[in-house]
Amino acid sequence: MYKLSEYAFVAGGLSAILALITSVAYAASGLRAARLQTSPAALTSRTIGFSAGPRTASIGLYATLLAWLAAAALTASLVFRTFATGHGPFANMYEFSVAFAWGILVAYVWFERRYHQRLLALVALPVAIALMAYATTIPSTIEPLVPALQNNLLLTVHVAVAIVAYGSFTVAFAAAILYLVQPEGGRWGLPKPGVLDEIGYRSIVVGFPFLTLTIVLGAVWADIAWGRYWSWDPKETASFVTWLIYGAYLHARVVRGWRGTWAAALLLLGFAATLFTYFGNLFFGGLHSYAGLG
Amino acid sequence: MADQARTRPVPGLPPADALEDVPLIDVDGALDRLWSVLTSMRLALVLILVLAALALAGTILVQAPPGVVADPEARSEWLNQVRPKYGGWTGVFDALGLFAVFESIWFRLVAAALTASTLACSIRRLPGIVMTATRPHVDVADAFFEHAPHREAVILREGPAAARRRVEATLRSHRYRVIVGSDGATFYADRFRWVPLAGLVGHLALVVIVVGALVGATFGFRDPDFVIAEGTTAAVPGTPGMSVELLSFRDSYYANTGAPSDYASELVLYRDGAEVARQTVRVNDPLRYDGTSFYQSFYGPAASVRVADEAGTSLFAGGVPLAWSTNEGNRRVGTFTIPERDLTVWVVGTGGPADLVVRPGQMRVEVYRNDGSATPVDAVSLDPNKPAVIEGLSFTFDRELQFSGLSIARDPGTPIVWLGCTLLFFGFVIRFTVPHRRIWIRIGRQGGHSRVAFASVGRGDVSLGAEYARLIEDIGRGPAATDIGRGRAATRA
Repeated sequence: MYKLSEYAFVAGGLSAILALITSVAYAASGLRAARLQTSPAALTSRTIGFSAGPRTASIGLYATLLAWLAAAALTASLVFRTFATGHGPFANMYEFSVAFAWGILVAYVWFERRYHQRLLALVALPVAIALMAYATTIPSTIEPLVPALQNNLLLTVHVAVAIVAYGSFTVAFAAAILYLVQPEGGRWGLPKPGVLDEIGYRSIVVGFPFLTLTIVLGAVWADIAWGRYWSWDPKETASFVTWLIYGAYLHARVVRGWRGTWAAALLLLGFAATLFTYFGNLFFGGLHSYAGLG
Repeated sequence: MADQARTRPVPGLPPADALEDVPLIDVDGALDRLWSVLTSMRLALVLILVLAALALAGTILVQAPPGVVADPEARSEWLNQVRPKYGGWTGVFDALGLFAVFESIWFRLVAAALTASTLACSIRRLPGIVMTATRPHVDVADAFFEHAPHREAVILREGPAAARRRVEATLRSHRYRVIVGSDGATFYADRFRWVPLAGLVGHLALVVIVVGALVGATFGFRDPDFVIAEGTTAAVPGTPGMSVELLSFRDSYYANTGAPSDYASELVLYRDGAEVARQTVRVNDPLRYDGTSFYQSFYGPAASVRVADEAGTSLFAGGVPLAWSTNEGNRRVGTFTIPERDLTVWVVGTGGPADLVVRPGQMRVEVYRNDGSATPVDAVSLDPNKPAVIEGLSFTFDRELQFSGLSIARDPGTPIVWLGCTLLFFGFVIRFTVPHRRIWIRIGRQGGHSRVAFASVGRGDVSLGAEYARLIEDIGRGPAATDIGRGRAATRA
């Protein structure tokens, strides 16, 4: 089981890299198409190869299929690892990183299917790949659980819910980046700003309740294991900061003067807070420190 | 939420405020201004971000342990410890209260203001939500159908009377509530009209959680550092009449890695001397009895010590938790008193193999008079079961034991907090997953046919737009519909 999990992880990583490459090619073909449309002279010049036409559907299809494959492979990897360890695959930084990458892939695939915006992959996949690369630097050996983590139900649900939230936040981050890099009105064949704004909002609408649930379940667990539901432990405080920023975003979206660019900037800030929360136990100790590299 | 969310005023429809809200409570002057500030969503937004910034400071900067900031001596000592890390900033951070952010006046002020703002916004929104749900604004001006965010028009072959019946029947088959306007030609249809209330409940839940936290802080009790040695019974702090006995403590480790696998305290709880509860308390398995909870928190060594007087009468017998450590020598120490002789005894464990004063296996007793003197009357390192006489008393060290460190808490605010969390989660989930749907429809005559105009408010939402499109298609597809009749006016999804 352990070996199968490792193989599936490698397959997932490779698929994700290939999905990114095809997505870049897809974006490039779209960029080209956009340029052709804006300069009439270019239309008459003869060009060779599939990238010359308007955005090539087939390469986009490959990008989508590869992203699906990556998500499926990581799912398999996590399932095998669950069987190998006997608990949810969230007990140390290796498992958590793979799960985070999985969350990103699943959230991306979901939003891509719903909004047909493949170019979100340009930002979302690099984040997922970076997390998988980070996971390879951490020993993946299976360690038994320390007493504080010996609550199978809460360990699994608390972190699984966090993973869904983090995956959605990454999609929102991708939408915000694509929103902010293009001038008003849209450019470079990127998704229209209005669509990106909608995707950003929709991903927070998914992610925010899940983050709320993560924090609440964390409080429930803290009440059982540490004797109080809230102790301003650095990790729980960082997740509270993340929650506040996305809460601010939800309000910003309906306040005049904050809509659009500022709301998108809050999505970047929120994602920075998400990463800070995620990597936090590497440097700020506290009660969550056992979830570190050990 | 004064400066909320209308995309732009829609002509013909009263402004969202007038539509959603009844006239504000009549308060004058300063109160009026305070109210409009508190109900401003812009202010709420800024407060949220300020609170986030303060909390962020609380994660980045090392926070002083509880109680340290209030105690000037402990505070300066603690500041000296962190000074190498923060250098010249230490004084600045300290002055700003950033080493105890969550007890600081800033944090409390901002949290209080945000709570007040949440409450004020909810109170302000409530009448509007109730009004929209119970007595919605049906008769809108014609211009509304030309400018609403979602709008569409279709031509039906049949006359207005038949069209009205069809529209109403179709709306009802889509589970809409339908209200007919005073002109008989305007319809208001809505679904999930109480959903905005869920958003309100989600916000009020935050106030509930704050109340729970305040109740806990006011009426609760907490001792995070309760230590008890194996074989001893001690009064439960803060709970008169209750005592707890530690039968045994066991720590176990994984053979291959040496990582801890289990900490378990066998506890017996007594009320007025009678046993009321008994449980093996583990890290994820606290003992809860009548509102008081006992959590496994930490552990350490203890010494079983006996003291007898000249006649052999026992003055002390029991486990002494070595719960502190000395500044130098890494020795663990614990203490007990002998009130009959006005003596305080410190029990000192070994500092390790290199310790020549307290060798491994030994336990040292240092006996002090309770007169504030800093030098002991006498001090002896005891081998197990070899008594020594100090001040005429015989001291015996039986054997090493363990002590268990428990966190004891009684927090009557916790159920309130859980209630708030439940409302918070479900309030937001309902608010986010069930869109409140509202449509105005006006049916007019166009030649021998009828023209049906649709308009809806609300933010751009793909799924909502799709649902309206399906509804309009269904109306157009009725038995008498013809393809000549469908004309698309303007649509904005």
